[in-house]
Amino acid sequence: MDIFANLALGFGVALSPFNLLMCLIGVLLGTLIGVLPGIGPVATIAMLLPITFNLSPIAALIMLAGIYYGAQYGGSTTAILVNLPGEASSVVTCLDGYQMARRGRAGPALATAAIGSFFAGCVATLVVAMFAPPLAEVALKFGPAEYFSLMVLGLVAAVVLAHGSLMKAIAMVILGLLLGLIGTDVNSGVLRFAFGISELADGIGFVVVAMGMFGLAEIVANLEHKGEREVFTTKVKNLWPTRDDWKRIWAPILRGTLLGSALGILPGGGALLASFGAYTLEKKVSRNAKEFGKGAIEGVAAPESANNAGAQTSFIPLLTLGIPSNAVMALMIGAMMIQGIAPGPQVMTERPQLFWGMIASMWLGNLMLVVLNLPLIGMWIKLLTVPYRMLYPSILLFMGIGVFSLSNNPFDVLIMGFFGLIGYICVKLECEPAPMILGFILGPLMEENLRRAMLLSRGDATVFVDPVNKPISFGFLVASAILLVIIALPNIRKKREEVFVEEA
Amino acid sequence: MKIKNSKDFWAGLMFIGFGLAFAIIARGDVLGVKLAPGYQMGTSLRMGPAYFPTVLGGMLAALGLVIFVRAFFSTLKGEAVRVHLPFNIVDLAVGAAVFAGLAWASKALYDNADWGMLAASVVLSILAILLRPEARALMLILTSCLAFAYLLKPLGLILSSAILIFISAFGGHEFKLKEVAILSLVLIVFSVLAFVKGLTLPFPIWPAFMD
Repeated sequence: MDIFANLALGFGVALSPFNLLMCLIGVLLGTLIGVLPGIGPVATIAMLLPITFNLSPIAALIMLAGIYYGAQYGGSTTAILVNLPGEASSVVTCLDGYQMARRGRAGPALATAAIGSFFAGCVATLVVAMFAPPLAEVALKFGPAEYFSLMVLGLVAAVVLAHGSLMKAIAMVILGLLLGLIGTDVNSGVLRFAFGISELADGIGFVVVAMGMFGLAEIVANLEHKGEREVFTTKVKNLWPTRDDWKRIWAPILRGTLLGSALGILPGGGALLASFGAYTLEKKVSRNAKEFGKGAIEGVAAPESANNAGAQTSFIPLLTLGIPSNAVMALMIGAMMIQGIAPGPQVMTERPQLFWGMIASMWLGNLMLVVLNLPLIGMWIKLLTVPYRMLYPSILLFMGIGVFSLSNNPFDVLIMGFFGLIGYICVKLECEPAPMILGFILGPLMEENLRRAMLLSRGDATVFVDPVNKPISFGFLVASAILLVIIALPNIRKKREEVFVEEA
Repeated sequence: MKIKNSKDFWAGLMFIGFGLAFAIIARGDVLGVKLAPGYQMGTSLRMGPAYFPTVLGGMLAALGLVIFVRAFFSTLKGEAVRVHLPFNIVDLAVGAAVFAGLAWASKALYDNADWGMLAASVVLSILAILLRPEARALMLILTSCLAFAYLLKPLGLILSSAILIFISAFGGHEFKLKEVAILSLVLIVFSVLAFVKGLTLPFPIWPAFMD
């Protein structure tokens, strides 16, 4: 089988001592930052991105993937122990995980999260290895029209998953697309929206935008909430789940993994949709449905497995199509571009070592999470007891150093501050920043593909919706339209709002 | 007409503003009145640099208008929705004016806008502490970052880090001098070792006048 030869190649790359070390550092740093209350994977990756700039592309991507898993796992730890989700995907873990912790069962909850994540990670790695190559083959046949329509679908899907108002989410996507156009236009060489500022010639760095919108805005928002939270630090003893626990968690882990893997592949999918879906499913099928919300171990096992599976399979659209399906993947695509890799189907054929090395390192990253984090849990808990007033100046300093070092210029920090202010205002106005980041990354790509498609069709805009000659593009746009219509329907809209209210 | 959802009201205005700004700068005129140099529009066959931003800007402004209008009708739960921003639109305008004014003045006087922007953020922070205590965290966090960035080259990593830590810590709820001093010491030692010695970032460690 090809897949084993490929995986062998990948492990050959990932198991080199240096890459292993990078994976390890990534997982550790990711957990370290991710465990801090109120900092989700997006902010964690944005903050840690600069340290990967000096590495080779392979090592950098391996480290980033490690950071992502670490951050995700760190977020679960915080959700269980402090009832403070770092991001939306660990919200559901709070529901039962925190209740378990209150009953003195924080240990098994943490272990279940780790075991579920590991199992999900193993399966999802195989899924990525199996599905990515055929999908990349299909994607190689895509022309500019198909790419444009696919991006539309991806953005629509991101909008559907945003909190709150649909129209505000669409507006944020468009704002992101526009901001992405700042800088030199590749076709004409014209400087757009630069106001004579030479630093804007290359556009705004997406790291700067992400750090401002997520990092800075989050720190300010956290400073405004004063309330102290109860941390269950002394009660974490017996880590290992009991025999009864095992009986209860194996099926939810399996179901969560399958559902998460499937949902992660969808554009706009990923960890968030996966964990919500898995929790809802489990609540429906479980024999202990009544216990949900009061500390049911199934309520930790299923969403934790699902969000890890989804997190991993959302690499499929990124690696094969070059399309980020959520904000984290948008950061990964940005990191690839910084490393000089044009994301897309050609990555797999042109740089098989990078492609398979990254997939192999996904599995290794998951293994490291279990092997390292369970024994280190005491250390992460200690970190939770460090007061926030000492943490945020440290985070700010590292962000400042990181952003300054991008081009050794204070201008980037100024822009970060600007987006911090915008992000803060957006959060207050209930406009979610995640769709904006996605639009920001896709802005120039979309314009480029739109131009090319129009040039090829001799200015005929119907090329995108031609079911005979461009069935794929037609299909993507129809799917986008259907998605938009569905969530605009009164019934579904109400349901969607309920889901997000429940979550908040 | 009463505003039923002030979050929608301001969000709508914000989107209209951004949308129009992008479209106008790209096209260069409004209904024939020249406002900016503008870029080439091109045709749908050969799109010029103005094409995509004009279309998107128009879409954004239109969406903003819908959101804005909705603010007068939308009643999700029948009650009015209020924004909790620690500053109002006048504060924002004054802040932007102070910022732009001092930046322009320092550009004219010293051929460098940086000092004006830094001075503006310090002035605005002091104003926030005195007049808008709820905006204190926001302003001091932003100021600490700017101060760090603009002072890093002249003052070196040690002093600029200390300044960032002290200003940002002052933006929190509790400020314990001893604690912040110890935190600064630890972070500075770590940063110098990890970033300058370890990752070899080209930052000066000491102030420029000491070399």
